[in-house]
Amino acid sequence: MTAIVDHRSGAPRRSAAQLVHGLLSMPAGAILLVFVVVQLACIIAGLLFPDDFRYLSPQNMGIMMRSVPVLGCLALGAGLLMIAGEFDLSIGSVYTFTAVVMAVLVGNGIDAFIAAPIGLMIGAAIGLLNGALTLRFNLPSFIVTLGGLLFWRGAVLLFNGAVQVRFDPNPVFNEMFSGTILGINAAFVWFILLCLVFWALLHRHRFGNHVFATGGNRSAATAIGVNTNRIKLAAFAIAGFMAAFAGILATTRVGSVQPGQGAGLELQAIAACVIGGLSLRGGRGSILGVFLGVMLIFTITDVLLLMRAPGFYLDMFIATLIVLASIFNHGLDRRGASI
Amino acid sequence: MSLLALHNINKTFGPLKALTDLSFEIGHSEVVGLLGDNGAGKSTTVNMLSGIHRPSSGYISVDGKRCDFTCRRDSAEAGIETIYQNTALVDCLSISRNIFLGRELTDRFGFLDLKRMREIAMQVLESAVHISGIDSPDKLVGDLSGGQKQAVAIARAVFFKRRVLLLDEPTSALSVRETEALLQQVLKLKDEGVSSVLVTHNLYHAYQVCDRFVIMSHGTKVFDVAKAETTIEELTQHVVLT
Repeated sequence: MTAIVDHRSGAPRRSAAQLVHGLLSMPAGAILLVFVVVQLACIIAGLLFPDDFRYLSPQNMGIMMRSVPVLGCLALGAGLLMIAGEFDLSIGSVYTFTAVVMAVLVGNGIDAFIAAPIGLMIGAAIGLLNGALTLRFNLPSFIVTLGGLLFWRGAVLLFNGAVQVRFDPNPVFNEMFSGTILGINAAFVWFILLCLVFWALLHRHRFGNHVFATGGNRSAATAIGVNTNRIKLAAFAIAGFMAAFAGILATTRVGSVQPGQGAGLELQAIAACVIGGLSLRGGRGSILGVFLGVMLIFTITDVLLLMRAPGFYLDMFIATLIVLASIFNHGLDRRGASI
Repeated sequence: MSLLALHNINKTFGPLKALTDLSFEIGHSEVVGLLGDNGAGKSTTVNMLSGIHRPSSGYISVDGKRCDFTCRRDSAEAGIETIYQNTALVDCLSISRNIFLGRELTDRFGFLDLKRMREIAMQVLESAVHISGIDSPDKLVGDLSGGQKQAVAIARAVFFKRRVLLLDEPTSALSVRETEALLQQVLKLKDEGVSSVLVTHNLYHAYQVCDRFVIMSHGTKVFDVAKAETTIEELTQHVVLT
């Protein structure tokens, strides 16, 4: 009898250990575990102390859903590019630049439904330019896009001066990007949709297979017949496009563009990717990881705000999270290489 | 008629002359050993046959017809598969995704048919290439041993019905047992009508499986002999002394 009981209690424990092990060896497994634990802790705390810790209040949920998509969209583009083995530091500036262009166009009487695609095209074109420079002259994309960061930041001031631009689109446009759909913030719906599109593209489409191959082992991919230059160019263009899309979401939500609003966002986007398990050397990562990385940054920010922590704690916590995540990922990389 | 032939090929990289008037042939169902010391031009020859370099003059013919390979894809279409020293596989992708890399099975919109890719990969690994330890096509290639990686590369060649395998120093990263398995694989493929070019330093491995030997030195051919007409001592002499 005791033997049976022992057997029974042993089996699920072993399978639970296997489950955890399997989860940790998944590209985004560890971050998923951390995310679930943090969410559960927040929800329990929210239920226990509904007055002091308003995590579950509709206002807080609304703030979360409004603030996630901008960084989320930037991180999706930056993440795809990182998996292809390149960086884009200019996305923060591109985000501001395309938003300013779009807002000025709308201010001059052009319909937002025409101005927004123009912004997206400019974003993609700047991405292509970054890619072309990187590949043509065989430079590190870090340097090229560092140039891009400064250049487009300056271009914002050249284009419209250091003044705030009002953005007053038609109501349909407004409703589409900052209204609510079935009670959910529209920007958040866009973000979720884009996550699904990126997931399909990266994990279920030929393009994604080539992106992983290009970032993972470029010479092998070339030898097999993948056009790695074209893949990298496309990834750069997508990163620029997503930066412009983030610009649309942010501008519609706030109703104006500040010339300095994108500063530092590119680093936050890369941070979200690193937390989500993307390798800085490329070839490793998942869209689920990027999504969770973004969500985790905002959840922790949110928790600290709800606990009325001073602002500098936010940066310190996120910094710690980045370093911990990369230590963990580095361990995974090394383990993979040593086998 | 030869399956694959090089005709008076010269190749220069700027001032550097890599190949000088190189001609040799590879017959149907033949294993050719391409031997030579470091810098003899073996790898340049392989790269040229796989379409990565283009000859400065001279040409390559397949089935007697002149072919100008401009990229890897051209040579693949002519039935040539190259298996590199450090195999051209992507560590962070699974076995089945590696086998189909660049030639994915997709639907009309380019979405991968993962189920079929997985089934075929498993089938090829089970039937064509016997290397133990690979039990799932979902394993990451980075987790495989050197021999298993070569096996995946060969499985890729087998599935895509290649006629010539170019093996560039395939045994340098392998254990003794894996080397043995690889050489047996080359012989097995020969029986099925697949020719191979074995580029190697190791004369003993070459002597074990090759039907013919081409020895290169300073970018040109210095010796071309069938196995029956030579000995390993004579081959060594040609490699060392020329």
